[in-house]
Amino acid sequence: MSPESAILTPEERAVLDQSVLVRHRLEEQFRDLDQQHEAASLGMWIFLATEVMFFGSLFLGLGAYRYLYEEAFEKASIKLNWIIGGTNTVVLLVSSLFMVLAVHYVKLARRKELLVCLGLTALLGLLFLALKGLEYYLDYRDNLIPGWRFDPEEWIEKEGLRAEQVPQVELFLMFYWIMTGLHGLHVTLGIAAVLTMLILAWRGHFSPAYYSPVDVTALYWHFVDTVWIFLLPMLYLLGSHTFP
Amino acid sequence: MAEPLIRVQTYVVVCVLLVLLTVLTVGLSFWHVPPVWHIVLGLCIAVCKASLVVLFFMHALISTRLTWIVILVSCFWLGILLVLTLGDYFSRGMVPAAPGH
Repeated sequence: MSPESAILTPEERAVLDQSVLVRHRLEEQFRDLDQQHEAASLGMWIFLATEVMFFGSLFLGLGAYRYLYEEAFEKASIKLNWIIGGTNTVVLLVSSLFMVLAVHYVKLARRKELLVCLGLTALLGLLFLALKGLEYYLDYRDNLIPGWRFDPEEWIEKEGLRAEQVPQVELFLMFYWIMTGLHGLHVTLGIAAVLTMLILAWRGHFSPAYYSPVDVTALYWHFVDTVWIFLLPMLYLLGSHTFP
Repeated sequence: MAEPLIRVQTYVVVCVLLVLLTVLTVGLSFWHVPPVWHIVLGLCIAVCKASLVVLFFMHALISTRLTWIVILVSCFWLGILLVLTLGDYFSRGMVPAAPGH
């Protein structure tokens, strides 16, 4: 039994547990919680700036090769499943709405709404991954995996490409697998972070005075959403579709 | 510190706008125009959507000047990466073959 428990009544102990004094976890190098929050948020923004360069170089490669191998990239892009790609965009956008609402409600100390919003964000993230898994299965079925399940003849006979354009199709598909794979990894890490926030929120870890972890997790989640916003037109919508 | 400065309705409106822009961008891919337009229109809409996410969802609108510096600097460095490299690729056909090449 800690010394406080011996002095305080259970009611007083409960009040102390909910107080800023116990919960805020102000680190000694910061003047106050505002400064600590600002530092945490700035740190995440700087990390996201490095992520911009990380994904930026992949988009640059995709853009440059799209310019060089226009026809092959266009025909390969049409083969991708834009219905799942588009649906997944909406799933991520709605998950971002719940994430921002979680930040909104933690500032208002509305714990129940915070828990619901964090839970829905994680669930929509899982739905995204499930749809992505379905899409990968369909790509497997349709021979869209270069080096494993890929039929060069198909592209020459059905799509009318020349033999030298087939490696260009494979290059586009490699961009597709690497970029969606890395994005999927980011989503997975994001879900883990959101679930961690959910557990901490469940334990009453956050208050309107201290909610930096929820805020920086939200920044990361929105960034992952932003990357997908650019992946949709750059991978799925390079060519003109026709109604099925 | 913990005063929410953006209303829930605003977040919902932004999300609806984002979904509508997604429908628009997918819809435009059914428009039979020269392929380069798909990428131009698609990226223009994507930039609008990303701006909405950064300004409202990531609270850049109500962030400190230091955060704005990080955002602008990251855009600037990305700009250097994209503009200089793509400028090279796009202009290769425009330059007549130099002697010795």
